[in-house]
Amino acid sequence: MTEAILSVAGLRSGYGRTVICDDISLQVSAGQITCIIGPNGAGKSTLLKTIAGVVSAIDGSIRVAGVEMAGLPAARVAGSGMAYVPQEANVFRALTTHENLAMGGWQDEGRTQAARDRVYDMFPDLQPLARVPAGNLSGGQRQMVAFGMALMLEPQVLLLDEPSAGLSPLMVGEMFETVRRVNAEGVAILMVEQNALQGLKTAHEGIVMAAGRIAMQGAASELLNSADVSELYLGSRI
Amino acid sequence: MNLQIFVNALVNAALIAPPAMAFSLLFGVLKFPNFAIGGYITLGAFAAYTFNVPLGLPLPLATLGAMLFTGFVVWLAHVWVFKPMQDQSAVTLLVVSIALTLILESVVRLFFSADVRGFDIPLERPWKFWGARITREQVEIIACAVVLATGLHVLLRHTRIGRAMRAVADNPMLAAIRGVDAAKITALTTVLCGAIFGLTGVFAGLDLVIEPLVGWNLTIPIFAAAILGGIGSPYGAILGALLLGLAEELTILVLPSTYKIAVGFVIIAIFLLLRPQGLFGTAEIKK
Repeated sequence: MTEAILSVAGLRSGYGRTVICDDISLQVSAGQITCIIGPNGAGKSTLLKTIAGVVSAIDGSIRVAGVEMAGLPAARVAGSGMAYVPQEANVFRALTTHENLAMGGWQDEGRTQAARDRVYDMFPDLQPLARVPAGNLSGGQRQMVAFGMALMLEPQVLLLDEPSAGLSPLMVGEMFETVRRVNAEGVAILMVEQNALQGLKTAHEGIVMAAGRIAMQGAASELLNSADVSELYLGSRI
Repeated sequence: MNLQIFVNALVNAALIAPPAMAFSLLFGVLKFPNFAIGGYITLGAFAAYTFNVPLGLPLPLATLGAMLFTGFVVWLAHVWVFKPMQDQSAVTLLVVSIALTLILESVVRLFFSADVRGFDIPLERPWKFWGARITREQVEIIACAVVLATGLHVLLRHTRIGRAMRAVADNPMLAAIRGVDAAKITALTTVLCGAIFGLTGVFAGLDLVIEPLVGWNLTIPIFAAAILGGIGSPYGAILGALLLGLAEELTILVLPSTYKIAVGFVIIAIFLLLRPQGLFGTAEIKK
C-alpha cells in the first residue's frame, strides 16, 4: 500500500454534547480516491467537517502528511495541504469566478496568478465565466468553481462533501469525470457520496459509515460486490 | 422644475450615501441592522466639535480625529457588546443596537447638554448659479462623498482586503475554510464603517446642526436608502440615497417640510412589502 497522506485515528466529534462521529480511524493514500457512503445521519458530512476543522474534534488524531491537525480551526487547516469543498454554499455567490479563485489562493497571494492559470487549464469552461458572479452560474459551473477554488493552493488531499448533490443526471457523470481528472493530477481525494454506486465506481477505496461509526471498509471494488452493501446502499443492483 | 430641488437632493444624497454604504457593509458582516449608527454619528459630530472648538484644531484635522475616535468606539462596541451576543437573533441584536444608540446619546447629553452647537468655520454667502444656491460646505460634502464612494469601490473591488470583506459578508464559513481570518476582517470592517459614521457626523454638523439627536434624525433616511438599494449592497446604497434625497425634496413641493421625515418610512414600507431585496439585492427562497 502507498504512503498515507491523511491519517485519522480514534476520532470523536459532534455538536455540543452530542457525539456524531465516534472512534473513526481511516487512512487516505497518496494519489487515491476514497469514497465514504452510508445512510442519512450516519455522520459522513460531520466527519469531513471535523477533518477540515469546521467542527471541533473532541478526541483523536488527524494527521496530514504527518502533521497533527486535530483541534486547529478551519482557517489554520486551509494552508496545510488539505482543501475542503462543502456540499452547500461552496462558492462566494457575490464574487466573480475570477475573484472566487483568488479567494482560494488567499493564503499564498504570490502564486495566485499562476495557480489561477493552472485551474483555467484544468477547467477551460471557467475561462469565459471569469467575470460572472458565481451566484449567476449553473449548479455544475458552481461545482467547477468550488473545485477550482479548492485546488488553488495545490492541496495533496481534497475533501469533497457530496459533490454530485443537486446536479442533473448529465452533470453527475461529468462531475465524477472531473473527480478522476483532479485525482490524475496526483491529488488524493476523500469524498462523501449519497450516489453510492457512482461514488464507489470512481473510488479506489470505500468506507461504509452507520450511526457515526465505520461499519465496513476496503477496496471499492470489493464493497461494490458485497451483498450487504448492495442490498443496503446500492438498491437492487444484484 | 426648480434646479434648487436637485441641488438639495444631491446634498441630501451626499449626506446619506456614505453612512448607508457603511450600514450595508456592516450588515453584510454582522448580519443584523445596526441602529446604533445614530449614536455613532452623534459621537462623530461631537468628537469633531471637541477637537475643532474647545481644542482649536482646524476642521480637517478635527474630522480626522473624529473618524479615528468613532472607528475605535464602533470597534469597541463590536468587541464588548455585539460579539458576545453573536449567537442571538437579529431582532435581539437590533433591539440592543437601539439601546446602545440611546446610551451614546445620553452620554453626549451628559457632557455637552442638549444645546445646539456649530463648528468654528467662517460664515460665507452661498454661491448662486442658474437660480440655485449652494454653500461651500455643501460642495465640500458632495466632493467628499464622491471621493469616499470611489475609494470604497476601489477598496471593495480592487484590493485583497476588500475582496475578503465581500467574501466574509457573503459566506463567513467558506471564507474561514479558505484561510481567511474572519474575525480580523470583521474588526477591520467595523473600524472602517465607524470612521465613515464619524465623517457623517461632521457632514451633519456642517449641513445641519450639532445636537444629541443629529444621528438619530439621520437613522431612518440611512436605513431607507440601504433598503431601497438592497441591504448588504454598498453600491445600491448610493442609488438608494440619491432616490431618497430626490423623493424627500419632491415631497416638499406638495406637503409641508415637516412630513419630509415620513418619506423614509414610506419607502421602507413600500419596499419591504413589494421588493424586500431592494433594487440591487438578490431574492432568496427559504426552503
